[in-house]
Amino acid sequence: MQSPPDARGPFPVKHGGDGSADEVVRQNVLLTRLQDIVAWGRKYSIWPFNFGLSCCYVEMATSLTSRYDIARFGSEVIRSTPREADLMVVAGTVFIKVAPVIRRLYEQMMAPRWVVSMGSCANSGGMFDIYSVVQGVDKILPVDVYVPGCPPSPVALMEGLLLMSKAMGREKRPLSWVAGAQGVYRPAPISQRDLKRPERQRATGLRSPDEV
Amino acid sequence: MNAVSEIVQELQTRLSGVPLEPQATRDGIPTVWAPKERLWELLRYLKTEAQRPYRMLYDLSALDERERTHRQGQPESDFTVIYHLLSFERNEDLRIKVALKGESPAVRTVTDLWPAANWYEREVWDMFGIGFPGHPDLRRILMPATWQGHPLRKEHPARATEMEPFRLTDDKQAAEEEALKFRPEEWGMKRTGEDRDFMFLNVGPHHPGTHGLLRVVLQLDGEVIVDAVPDIGFHHRGAEKMAERQSWHTFIPYTDRIDYLGGVMNNLAYVLAVEKLAGIEVPERAQVIRVMLSEFFRVASHLVWYGTFAADVGAMSPVFYMFNDRERIFEIIGAICGGRMHPNWFRIGGVAQDLPRGWDKLVRDFLQYMPPRLLEYDRMVMRNPVFKARTVGIGRFTKDEAIEWGMTGPGLRACGFEWDFRKKRPYSGYERFEFDIPTAQNGDSYDRAVVRVAEMHQSLRIIAQCLDGMPAGPYKSDHPLATPPMKERTLHDIETLITHFLSVSWGPVIPPGEAFFGIEATKGNNGYYLVSDGSTVSYRTRIRTPSFPHIQMLPLMCRGRMLADLFSILGSIDFVLADVDR
Repeated sequence: MQSPPDARGPFPVKHGGDGSADEVVRQNVLLTRLQDIVAWGRKYSIWPFNFGLSCCYVEMATSLTSRYDIARFGSEVIRSTPREADLMVVAGTVFIKVAPVIRRLYEQMMAPRWVVSMGSCANSGGMFDIYSVVQGVDKILPVDVYVPGCPPSPVALMEGLLLMSKAMGREKRPLSWVAGAQGVYRPAPISQRDLKRPERQRATGLRSPDEV
Repeated sequence: MNAVSEIVQELQTRLSGVPLEPQATRDGIPTVWAPKERLWELLRYLKTEAQRPYRMLYDLSALDERERTHRQGQPESDFTVIYHLLSFERNEDLRIKVALKGESPAVRTVTDLWPAANWYEREVWDMFGIGFPGHPDLRRILMPATWQGHPLRKEHPARATEMEPFRLTDDKQAAEEEALKFRPEEWGMKRTGEDRDFMFLNVGPHHPGTHGLLRVVLQLDGEVIVDAVPDIGFHHRGAEKMAERQSWHTFIPYTDRIDYLGGVMNNLAYVLAVEKLAGIEVPERAQVIRVMLSEFFRVASHLVWYGTFAADVGAMSPVFYMFNDRERIFEIIGAICGGRMHPNWFRIGGVAQDLPRGWDKLVRDFLQYMPPRLLEYDRMVMRNPVFKARTVGIGRFTKDEAIEWGMTGPGLRACGFEWDFRKKRPYSGYERFEFDIPTAQNGDSYDRAVVRVAEMHQSLRIIAQCLDGMPAGPYKSDHPLATPPMKERTLHDIETLITHFLSVSWGPVIPPGEAFFGIEATKGNNGYYLVSDGSTVSYRTRIRTPSFPHIQMLPLMCRGRMLADLFSILGSIDFVLADVDR
């Protein structure tokens, strides 16, 4: 069976039609593997942990509000406890003083869990190469997606979220600790910089800053 | 300079035995060196006995003098502790300096004069290793308890990459968590009362209600808060140390991130201080552009506060309205500056670029759109009975308490005290604008909200005047230290080319001296105290932020209140953790 056909889900509704048994079956019966349908479900209901460190968190909160509306991607169910969350967006600077707290909160999240590193500080320390800052959250936890920016706009965060969602849909995890292979298969992350470079290099005319 | 002699003369006649050495500074704030042994007596006199006393301990910081070259005429000193006092009656500041020697300097605490000195002295201890005998609780405040060394000492490394790479082993994790454990006895708290046991509740450092990395440990008797201990430092980004390695020009983006909701408002306090040191006059157009953008950010910051405050006390929907309006402001900010939260738009001597064509239409549309919205929010939030029930009479303090604890901004004005730097000490051309200073009388959570809402209307009034009266002319000064230099001053010949190259690559060399500049920022008084040693980087940058003393006041506001009131109080203070910890 193939993976779900498109973002509308595996059950495309077609209006009209001839009403034949063949069509009814086509519209109502889906053959898939349990593993795939679980991955598909995860992909469209990512519950983020209500977790913020600094400036980036304000932009993360902005992505929840109506102008950006992260609910379009099924991620508006912000959880205030790590135990109910699937996703930790590390939004802001990772301070040495707070690193043990972040690690503890991450460990309290139940697997499967994902981490988006939001903003330059969380990605690499960014402009804060200073004694009190950990140079990137990946020094203390595994990261799935890095979103660049200082802070990234809500749109950039959502792009990161969609990339992650896409990767989640292609992930293969064991359904039970007694059934099947136990490893987790994750697609290799793709560098968006490499992917977008040809298109960006084609841009020759930039908007003048003298005009609104 | 009359004022200098006035207070110094008064001190010299009234405290005849105390040898005082005045020092000239670029900002004209009277500055005197006092002997360590007589300091407390001098400060006590200034606070309680002097005519028109200096009632607020505005700032307390220190300076590592060991590598400073330009300090002619100043007493020998390894570490200097600086007390910055403010007299409302005089509308004047006074700076008292104390010279300390040796590797473990110490000076008597002033916590018995000003309760606000408590955190400031802890910060100086943490950052410089200067002791304060008599301090009730001298422990680290910004750095972890396990930290070695004092970061603002010159020998302490600045960069994380100069230090050993950070590794969080299981042992370290356990040790750090152990160090963060709250032990009531260490804070002089009892676990049991006469006929009851107290409960200790840890809130934060990560909690949705604390608006960032703030930890508050509560001593509870049932649901009543007996005492609270705010624990800060989880958001310490070392901005002051950063200023000692970035050039005067390249430090500007770091200021955006101090009060990260205040955007260019932070740039303003910094560039005004640098301009004072360098003696740069800013052209009128640049001043008005600065005022307009700063007021936009005041509205944007207040909108975030408005929505989140309403959410803190249970109203879920207002925040969606207010964030949308903030987006409208960001459209204008984006059109003018190209950025959103951190535009990094002001420059030494002016602003980065002139206003783009068509800016006026955006601003005009916004000025039409916003006032009716604010009136709608009045109905939605301010007149909402639930909101009132959660805020009226909560977190109350008096004007005297506010002054005693170093509170400024809307919190002070909500106690019925009309004090606003924009009116009292107009800067950047604020004297040209007509606006009122909103005040309220009760000093509770609700009144702080009343003041901020009224301030948004006043900010819109100022923006309207900027729009109608935007002067023509250059957007940057032609002073040689304005950075980057005006294009006309570059690329003519080898001389102008070299000057331009140096100014941009190394940055300007600011003449030696000291200057402080304080402004009325979104959350209170924000000020930069700069010490230049005549180089391309600052020798010391002290950032006086409003949120630091405001959070220190938290226990006073919530003792005896219910647990749920804590969030009404926190929300009403309007703080940003980067503004607390820098």
